[in-house]
Amino acid sequence: MNAFDEASPRLTHDLMAQPSHDELTEQLFVRDLKLYVMGQLEPRQKEIALAEAAALDRRTTNDAVGSVRRKMEGRASFGAWLAMKRESQRMLWSAVGDSVERQADRLAALADIPDPRGSVTIDPDFAVPDYIAMADVHLMPGGYGLDDGSLLQGAVMDRGGAVYMLGRNGGMLNDLRGQTALAHVLTRMPDIQPLHILDMGCGVGTSAVPAAMCFPDAEVTAIDVGASMLRYAHARAENLGARVHFSQQNAESTTFEPASFDIVYSCALLHETSPQAVQTILAESRRLLRSGGIAVHLEVPLLHSSEDLWSELSDELEAQYNNEPNWRGALSADYGSLMREAGFHDVVTGYQATAFNARGGPHHFGQFSEGVFRSWFVTSGRA
Amino acid sequence: MTSIMPRTPKRLDPIEGIAPFDEQLLAMVTALTSEIAMVRARLDTCERLLIDNGVIGAAAIEAYVPDASAQQQREQDRNRLLHKVFRPLHEAATAELTAAQGAV
Repeated sequence: MNAFDEASPRLTHDLMAQPSHDELTEQLFVRDLKLYVMGQLEPRQKEIALAEAAALDRRTTNDAVGSVRRKMEGRASFGAWLAMKRESQRMLWSAVGDSVERQADRLAALADIPDPRGSVTIDPDFAVPDYIAMADVHLMPGGYGLDDGSLLQGAVMDRGGAVYMLGRNGGMLNDLRGQTALAHVLTRMPDIQPLHILDMGCGVGTSAVPAAMCFPDAEVTAIDVGASMLRYAHARAENLGARVHFSQQNAESTTFEPASFDIVYSCALLHETSPQAVQTILAESRRLLRSGGIAVHLEVPLLHSSEDLWSELSDELEAQYNNEPNWRGALSADYGSLMREAGFHDVVTGYQATAFNARGGPHHFGQFSEGVFRSWFVTSGRA
Repeated sequence: MTSIMPRTPKRLDPIEGIAPFDEQLLAMVTALTSEIAMVRARLDTCERLLIDNGVIGAAAIEAYVPDASAQQQREQDRNRLLHKVFRPLHEAATAELTAAQGAV
């Protein structure tokens, strides 16, 4: 838990909302509550589920997960565990929201950058896609699409993400997915010298900043649907010394010319869209790629990598109660076929070892997951 | 309490196996526990600093009487606590009010 050292609450960059004494304790409480729910309450539910599964008459069901879930739903401890899990997530956003609101003026002042390296472009007529508008992903109130004219939702997402990931994902920079996607590019094309790079679904820019750092000569563009997130992402990137051009766009249908980019990538975007959008996003990433370029789409481990019934059931519950709109669709897709249908060649699917720094590696790509957070599912293809 | 950021996420599916009020109670107990953790940490910080710097002994805390400004601050703090702990009740009542108004 070094990323959340109580002795040094100020970490990484000025845009990160800084907690007061009490706010830090509150956030640490949320982190510990999540660990308690995960480490103490959840294992009991797993044991109950596996006991129910063992008692199941497999001849009378062809849906073991559904049968076990219905049996679990009759038990009070199951409901209590799910309620506690959801409340810990709600408390996370509530605690971070209070802290961010308190420093709204300071954050707004930091975002006023007189001579920026990059830019941010907001589309006043932008329509947030239905799959984002219909439920707030990860229970973040207001959702990714919130636009109140400020950058506060971005500040909430950045700080909340760092607490949520419990320091497992690059600490306060939260950048291991971006580093790993770019490490995959360098694994396949060690000598690539891209001029134009696109990050689809960039959020607060955690995965776009690594591209600007890894390829300082390239022009990095990053798109997402949320105006507040993008304003924050711009200020954050400037503060970190990264030149990134942020633009409010739908990854399914961008305004860029065909063959505009040497690298197009996304990090954990697809499971927050829809089955149809996955196909259109892959096709759009192909349209935008110049001949010889590479597209990389990184995701959390696929469902068929799960070892047991409990993994499948707990993933299903996570998707439903933490509002992951396309969890099952994105994590059970046949990406090899989808990428080839989208027009890519030299398509690969597999697991890229988590890289703390894209250039430093490790540059290891294989067929099997090395475990959650130690590797990420990746599919890539050439144009 | 004024709030400029939303606090209630869109779409909260009902959880099978737990009654809504039990879920609200769990949320309240969790919020209370969070407050206790925060208060204990702040107290611990204060007492350690005071003792480390030789400012007070334990008797000074027991003998303290808050002035008007301190009392006002404490009132604000208590109100913040009430909003935090009993948010689920207010939220559930607001949802029922909306439903009731929609039914008219």
